[in-house]
Amino acid sequence: MALSRRDFLKQSIGASTLVSASASLPCFLARTAAAAQSQSPRDDTILVVVQLAGGNDGLNTVVPFRDALYARNRPTLRLSGEKLHKIDGDFGFHPRMTAFHKLYHEGLLAVVQGVGYPNPNQDHPHAMRVWQSGNTRPDAARTGWLGRAVDQIYKVDSARVPAVYVGQIPRPFTMSAERAIVPWVRSLDQYGLRGDDAETPPAAPPVPSADRRSSSQEAVGSPPGPDALLQFVQRTALAARATSQQVEAAAKASGGDYPGFQFAATLRTIVQLIRANLGIRIFYAELGGNEPGGFDTHAGQALNHGALLEQLSESIAAMVNDLKRDKLVDRVILMTFSEFGRTVAENGRRGTDHGSAQPLFVVGGKVRGGLIGKHPPLDDLEGNGQRAHTDFRRVYATLLDDWLKIDSRPVLGEKFRRVDFLRA
Amino acid sequence: MSLVPEKTDPAWAWAAYKPDPQRPWDLRLAGHLFRRAGFGATWPQLQQALREGPEKTVERLLRPADDVAAFNRVFDEFEGAMDPESESTEPLRAWWLRRIMETPHPVLEKMTLFWHNHLAIPRNRPAHALSVAKHLQLVRSHALGQYDQMLDAAVHDSAMLVALGGANNRKSQPSLDFARAFLEELTVGPGHYSESDVHGVARAFTGLMVVRNRFRFVEREHDDAPKKILGRQGPWNGHDAVKIALAQPSTARRVVAKLYRWLISETEPPSDKLLEPLADAFASDYNIARLVGAVLRSNLFFSQAAYRQRIKSPVEFAVEIVRGMETLVNPEPLGHELVEMGQDLCHPPTLKGWTGGTSWLTDATWIRRHNLAWAMLSGAEPYGGKLDPWAVARRRGFSTLESAGRFLADLYVQGDLSSASREQLKRAIARAEAAQGNPSKTVRPLAHAVATLPEFQLA
Repeated sequence: MALSRRDFLKQSIGASTLVSASASLPCFLARTAAAAQSQSPRDDTILVVVQLAGGNDGLNTVVPFRDALYARNRPTLRLSGEKLHKIDGDFGFHPRMTAFHKLYHEGLLAVVQGVGYPNPNQDHPHAMRVWQSGNTRPDAARTGWLGRAVDQIYKVDSARVPAVYVGQIPRPFTMSAERAIVPWVRSLDQYGLRGDDAETPPAAPPVPSADRRSSSQEAVGSPPGPDALLQFVQRTALAARATSQQVEAAAKASGGDYPGFQFAATLRTIVQLIRANLGIRIFYAELGGNEPGGFDTHAGQALNHGALLEQLSESIAAMVNDLKRDKLVDRVILMTFSEFGRTVAENGRRGTDHGSAQPLFVVGGKVRGGLIGKHPPLDDLEGNGQRAHTDFRRVYATLLDDWLKIDSRPVLGEKFRRVDFLRA
Repeated sequence: MSLVPEKTDPAWAWAAYKPDPQRPWDLRLAGHLFRRAGFGATWPQLQQALREGPEKTVERLLRPADDVAAFNRVFDEFEGAMDPESESTEPLRAWWLRRIMETPHPVLEKMTLFWHNHLAIPRNRPAHALSVAKHLQLVRSHALGQYDQMLDAAVHDSAMLVALGGANNRKSQPSLDFARAFLEELTVGPGHYSESDVHGVARAFTGLMVVRNRFRFVEREHDDAPKKILGRQGPWNGHDAVKIALAQPSTARRVVAKLYRWLISETEPPSDKLLEPLADAFASDYNIARLVGAVLRSNLFFSQAAYRQRIKSPVEFAVEIVRGMETLVNPEPLGHELVEMGQDLCHPPTLKGWTGGTSWLTDATWIRRHNLAWAMLSGAEPYGGKLDPWAVARRRGFSTLESAGRFLADLYVQGDLSSASREQLKRAIARAEAAQGNPSKTVRPLAHAVATLPEFQLA
């Protein structure tokens, strides 16, 4: 099924193909093709959103090891100070988060503490819907917050959608958009064009006759006239072929080293897509799930949670290392979230139940590393979890306005105060 | 440059097309009619249409000789056998796709899809699969019937109430979400209602509930006090609200404008003047078959203003390939593929329906189309050898690779190609001829080359 290497080697590949094909294109198509290439500027900012599905126990992720209430509430799950990767005199990362500790000390990782929303919901699907829609009344939300962001920057007559979601995950509501069809990427193989005629170069569209040339010169995007739609399809076919070739080249390029986790493979795919330079600015991926092995650690939490945190931290660190190689790290920010934190007190089954506030991680070259905001006190709870002091939409708004340069108001419905986790 | 010149006379535009030497009835126009009115054609259908002329062909499409009722009854029974516990609409999607591929009445399915897109039930408030099945059957039963009856039935049915947030509409808490969607998406449209109309409509619909996936009217939860809706005062209920909204000219005009985009052109919105005769006629009787018939027979429909001025949706793209090959394919994998191309049958993305037009085609969805066409035409799993272009070509009297190539181009794009596409086709024929082996195999890449021509993406 998959296109063989040999098939690909037969064609000269790379970004130059599109331009070299343009010798035979009518001038406005050629100009559009060239414009499409220069329009995905290499300095566009990119956001990667990762959901830690199941409800992450933030208290055992960024641990307040000197807090007596922590020790009292966690008789069996307590992580003692000497095993932790110390952030400062009060907090430390889970023992298996060595890689995050390193990122933290390099100044590439911010921990935004106490994030949530008032009257938090503790039902998985409902709470997930809140975070994914960016709406505390998710019943009323028709689309996801990332979907609305995509719709703002996507033009229906452009050949590329600036977002994808990656990995073996169900279609995430957060990518539901009104207009854009956000692709699901399971493997880069799916970008290969199958069938024998995939070997031939794209057919050159007709050279416009003299009278048509004048009208085509005034509108590069979609020249009016009965053939405008046909020309749109021809442009899209060219773009598809270019995409296919760019992805194949990026997949073949040597990349960084990643650990063997599935989540790491997902992040590797994301970096390859970034390198392919397709103009994708928003990525979505997941780690965990409600099922055993996910973050929903009601019983026997310790080993399960530790394994997940190791996957999270090692995989993201590998991604950052990979991105550093061609200075991409300054163009990419990754943010994690979970549908809720967990109860402060453990539940008698060496586990924790659904809670409320949680710490979010924000990683990237332009991130102002450090602990952002106070750790919510353990004697003032909401729903048996920590009480949030930072609305999650403030984090979204900061990433939209200051990072992606997408106006947050239409996405979130109102203006939220920014959170200070980006470097100027 | 407009494809509908300013001076176009609406009376001319909507008068029935009569072939003449300037605008002869030919394969191009027959293909156009079958694309828009249905999901493509077989070769014998195109030939019959050529012989019989536009008038008789439109008539046959609208009122086929086959026993359509019996066909649909059987499929309704198939759908009724779905697992009542299942939340998933995947089996329903597969049955619908199969019905679209097999139906003796493609216009009915095309219009069912149109109304499904208009009375959309998106995924964000998932209705139960059986409710969705019932909704589709409701929509189909009215798809060429009366719009007033369809709208009234749909907003008194479980799937729409769930989708629009009106499933628990109590006197103490009338659902404003539902009322807003009713006014904004289903009837008068933006700019034609006020906040107080939203409250009036919400109160009119109080007492409507969905209990265990079934519609119920709970009398004691209905607010029967007077309310004002769109300027009219009275003790209105949901049925009254529907009637009042239908009496507003903008309701009919919006439906007609949507239908214009569906049947005539996505590239150029019509002027009010052009739509007026259709909208007036529709507002007077809400007779859908009459409206659709008028459009399909019209001068404008057979003019350059309409010809290839739409992009095929994924289901049109896929089913046209299949129908042309006079067969069926497994609708389950096909349904999944359509989802990946942005068309989840049974679930438009939002209440606004699919955006359509150029949004269907991006680099990613193009690659999907290209690969789906190959998956179906290559003879390999999951579609197997169902599509057999060589067998079809020979059955229709074309028994060389060269003539089979011309046949496929005539079947799928009526031979109407840009010079670049014609060159592309010639090269594909040459490759097929150069390839050693059984023509039943070597013709497959050639058929794929036709299905991936830019012209084939246009409806």
